[in-house]
Amino acid sequence: MVQGYETVIGLEVHLQLNTRSKAFCADDASFGGAPNTRVSAISLGHPGTLPMPNRAHVAYAVRLGLALGCHINLVSTFDRKNYFYADLPKGYQITQDKQPICSGGALDIRIGSGVRKVRIHHIHIEEDAGKSIHDQLPDASLIDLNRAGVPLLEIVTEPDLRSAEEVDAFMSAMRRLARYLDISDGNMEQGSMRCDVNVSVRRRGQHTYGTRCEIKNLNSMRFARRAIEYEAGRQIALVESGQVVEQNTLHFDPQTGTTSPLRSKEEAHDYRYFPDPDLPPLVLDTAFIESIRSQMPPLPEEVYRRFTEEYGLSNYDAALLAEEKSVALYFIELCQHTPHTKAAANLVINKLLPWRDENQADLHSFPIGLPALTELLQLIADNQISNSAAYQRLWPALLVEPGQSPAALAQSMDLLQTSDAEFIIALIDQVLAAHPGKVSEFRKGKKGLQGFFMGELMRLSQGKADPKTATAMLLQKLQAL
Amino acid sequence: MAAPKYRSLAYVQQLLRSGSLCMEQLVAHYLEQIAATQHLNIYVEVYAEEALARARALDVRLAKAPASLGRLWGMVTGIKDVICYQDHEITAASHILKGFRPLFSATALERLLAEDAIVIGRVNCDEFAMGSSNENSCYGPTRNAADPERVPGGSSGASAVAVQANTCLTALGSDTGGSVRQPAAFCGVVGLKPSYGRISRHGLIAYGSSLDQIGILSHNVADAALMLEVMAGPDGFDATASSVPVDAYSALLAPDRPMRVAWFREVLEHPSLDEGVRSLCFDFIKRMEQAGHTVQAVPFEYLDYTIPAYYVLATAEASSNLSRYDGIRFGYRSPSAYDLQSTYKRSRTEGFGKEVKRRIMLGAFVLSAGYYDAYYAKAQQIRRLIHDRFKAIFQEFDFVLMPAAPGVAWRLGEKITDPVEMYLADVFTVTANLVGIPAIALPVGVHPDSGLPVGLQLMADAFQEKALLGFAHHLLAQP
Repeated sequence: MVQGYETVIGLEVHLQLNTRSKAFCADDASFGGAPNTRVSAISLGHPGTLPMPNRAHVAYAVRLGLALGCHINLVSTFDRKNYFYADLPKGYQITQDKQPICSGGALDIRIGSGVRKVRIHHIHIEEDAGKSIHDQLPDASLIDLNRAGVPLLEIVTEPDLRSAEEVDAFMSAMRRLARYLDISDGNMEQGSMRCDVNVSVRRRGQHTYGTRCEIKNLNSMRFARRAIEYEAGRQIALVESGQVVEQNTLHFDPQTGTTSPLRSKEEAHDYRYFPDPDLPPLVLDTAFIESIRSQMPPLPEEVYRRFTEEYGLSNYDAALLAEEKSVALYFIELCQHTPHTKAAANLVINKLLPWRDENQADLHSFPIGLPALTELLQLIADNQISNSAAYQRLWPALLVEPGQSPAALAQSMDLLQTSDAEFIIALIDQVLAAHPGKVSEFRKGKKGLQGFFMGELMRLSQGKADPKTATAMLLQKLQAL
Repeated sequence: MAAPKYRSLAYVQQLLRSGSLCMEQLVAHYLEQIAATQHLNIYVEVYAEEALARARALDVRLAKAPASLGRLWGMVTGIKDVICYQDHEITAASHILKGFRPLFSATALERLLAEDAIVIGRVNCDEFAMGSSNENSCYGPTRNAADPERVPGGSSGASAVAVQANTCLTALGSDTGGSVRQPAAFCGVVGLKPSYGRISRHGLIAYGSSLDQIGILSHNVADAALMLEVMAGPDGFDATASSVPVDAYSALLAPDRPMRVAWFREVLEHPSLDEGVRSLCFDFIKRMEQAGHTVQAVPFEYLDYTIPAYYVLATAEASSNLSRYDGIRFGYRSPSAYDLQSTYKRSRTEGFGKEVKRRIMLGAFVLSAGYYDAYYAKAQQIRRLIHDRFKAIFQEFDFVLMPAAPGVAWRLGEKITDPVEMYLADVFTVTANLVGIPAIALPVGVHPDSGLPVGLQLMADAFQEKALLGFAHHLLAQP
């Protein structure tokens, strides 16, 4: 990037919701299905059909609004956005133009070790269009209307983002939040999260915004990053050479990595928005909102803070464990049984997550249950078993006999450590007797050999000597030499 | 016009119960009437076999399980070509929908059928219910049975003539700006437009969604009241269908006190109001006063704004509602279309009639960027003012009286070249749609010069159908 410029970015994020039925009719709203099988007279826009709002759609909007700290508008209205396209059966999209369901709010994003607040302008309810497929037949387009009428939320941000990296962080945070709220899988590849990006540039220190261009329909983060970086560069080059940026709607071509105008401001569609006469204003009562508030799951940002502040985890571990709600909730449950949160985090990250990824299973179905894991963590914390013995020897045995108590199994495997003085002194004597040469070197001042003696001691004890006690006793013995 | 052989459902049911008439005979009679009135071009499709089969099944049920017969046993009705009847063609009198069969029936129709009404056929109308003369139809104009050289009014012209010409006992129409009441007046029958949201619009092809209501044309108030009672009520397929409880409209209670009726000086002294219609209005006012009711003139300063406001709002909504007729999924597709744009342009240009295209363009214009505030927003403001004015009037009055139209039925072709003149024919009816209140057109006699039917309309506050129908019924029952 040319020095002295700042990129200003605002987003319009479309989130496709996982409600059972469509936004304004009872059709199955799930992804997939043979083309044009999840349709009805209503979603096909047949004459005489009318929309009926979906309560779940509204509830999801409120849930997201509460999670983002939005103002939930008790009265919102539906509008029609009119345009002709083959995958838009009614010739208009039902959306909320003038009075959206949520206003204001913010989403925190993490960049490095810092947190940035990205303000939300509003969230509105709308329905999706169908899908046009242009690349399967040489002389025709195919239309699949399974998606027509699927519920969407559009989240419109303020122009608070400053780089592709921040956009990436925002989209990740939004996806994480949607998954925590269980309103959408936020999967960009399947199109359940899409974004339009508004990009402008200005000189650093300038307060007014530059002319913005909107890049439409970016369906992966990789494309979004490339599109933003290309577009910012293009605009800076224009400004640098004394030209002006024209307000255009742009298309990003992933093949060439460039943006090109889809339509200019003059050619912009006139959507002829007007209030949808088929839908009375959406009126919410506070009891409805409060019932949603009372059932809110923990939110990713709260969970992250709890992991770092309360459990003392590193930022990295906290982010890893907070990424998915099921993992986070499992980890929180584990930590309710054990005070050894850092060891618990290591256990989950190193042992449980790989198992889960391999088996595509929920952590709660891990063979070794929470009580046994808690007991194991306690054995380690109490120095009753060494970390290495615990994970290298006891763990495989536990996996074979997951019903066994770790303590009993460690006992029967003779893995428990001891701080028994006689046992340790006998070992020390054995080590010193076996290495007279090293002992004399130590006497002459080669103090570094202490580590060697300790290693020998632990080897002889087969990991059973409590290292703390053993170190103390060895030191005492060596000093007395 | 000869007096109807079967003048009311109550009378038909009496004959059926006494055994002097069976349903099959009744339907056969109406089929004969339909055949005898073909020159009026009322029906675009007659469900002869189906209606006879249903009639025979009802006759069997009368013998075997008379208690199972519905409240509309004996009701033979015709439906306007904008009301969906599952698996039966529906076209809205437009080339663009030729051959289209709906996958479901309108909620209102479902409810009629569940009470054993028989649908005898689908009747003509103005294309997409846009018109005041029934001349804008791909099937050609319907003629007034009182004078076949004259229009029956519109857009539910054929629904009115179907009843007028005794081809059925009642007919369903739709009323967006007077489309039930004006033809009722032109044809000398009763025409009821209920409150907005009283009857579900599910299955009614939309014209102006915030104004549309299914209405009833009948020989008398009682039949309209019972039909309304059966069709009214909330519906899981229409968010604008009201959940206000459905009263026993068919009880037709006489007013329990003198009613207060308002009329507008601006209306009855309007220069465009026909003299004969005016004098029948004042006769009717006298009749109400003689029955002990109070009738009083009140100002209505918005009369000149009703037509412009109505035509802005109705066409705006229509321009969007009719976008779905695009040649892609159903209906007419131009054989000369070669890509997406030409499919839209040619299919719509060739499929829609002239008046429909005029209204789509008008509607798209008033919603377009830069004009929205000057037209659509302004019209909404006027609508609000008129609404508030009527609310205030109904604080003091039970009903408002108006003519249903400025004059009587005009000659075919007389106004077809002058759309503004045609639009002005709706001047007294659009108000009830803008306000969302019920209104009923009542036949009050014939014009002193032409002998053509004249109708007046009574309006009541929203969801006051019970009082309105009771009042109208008892007024007409008086000699």
